[in-house]
Amino acid sequence: MESASEEYTARQHYTESEKQTIFNDEFMPHIHSMYNFGYRLTLDRDDAKDLVQDTFLKAYRFVESFQKGTNAKAWLFRILKNSFINDYRKKSKEPNKVDYQEVETYYNSEDVDRQITPDLRVESLKDMMGDEISNALNALDVDFRTVIILCDLEGFKYEEMAKILDIPIGTVRSRLHRARNLLKEKLKSYAKTMGYNNA
Amino acid sequence: MATSPNPFIQADGKKPTCLEMLQLIVDDQATEEQRVYFKQHMDHCLPCYKEYNVDLAIRELLKAKCCGGGCPEDIVNQIKSKIKTISA
Repeated sequence: MESASEEYTARQHYTESEKQTIFNDEFMPHIHSMYNFGYRLTLDRDDAKDLVQDTFLKAYRFVESFQKGTNAKAWLFRILKNSFINDYRKKSKEPNKVDYQEVETYYNSEDVDRQITPDLRVESLKDMMGDEISNALNALDVDFRTVIILCDLEGFKYEEMAKILDIPIGTVRSRLHRARNLLKEKLKSYAKTMGYNNA
Repeated sequence: MATSPNPFIQADGKKPTCLEMLQLIVDDQATEEQRVYFKQHMDHCLPCYKEYNVDLAIRELLKAKCCGGGCPEDIVNQIKSKIKTISA
């Protein structure tokens, strides 16, 4: 499996008991984060369950590609992301809204950079007690959604995100910046519907 | 203005823009030294102060509303049972 073997090339040798210990002590504690990541990628709870189950079974099968005591969370997230792309996205119920390359090219344009941030106020955000933020996040293209989840919800560092997503650190930074601006644009339009005309 | 040397300045000597500093802070990738510097910088830079607070509010909303509430217990059991079968 490419996701497990690329990163950690030196194959480990574990006894059955060691495999169980790694699985229970290093992998299982991340199951809630993994499920949330799966859900935010697929936007479907049943698909998220399948994705998580598949990820953990792959992790167990390829546990000897994982070095005990290293960054299990990043390793698992990478497997889940690859499973999503390779196995799930092809048959996804979610239409592939925008071609990824097109998105990157468009949002890398200088015009977009100059627009920077929509003027959004803290006061309007504080009144968003419902599903506005969740809907705004879910409405982002999956590649932008992913970097927000990895950074803001899971606290990964640039380098870890680059490894999980197989992209350079510079791309992580620019994608995050653009994702934040897109999220703010969506939140601003919610704020307007809530009566904040100068949101 | 903040008087201590700017810890955001890279090896090539290029002075960072407000946006570049803000991004490292918001992405939670700044060093402690950079954090302290930026805090001082915000005392004198209203756009950074406003933007930082908006970004912070968004992050708090994300954490409060988008963490999903945990994995259903049946998956945990299903995974454990499949692992038992594989390793038996």
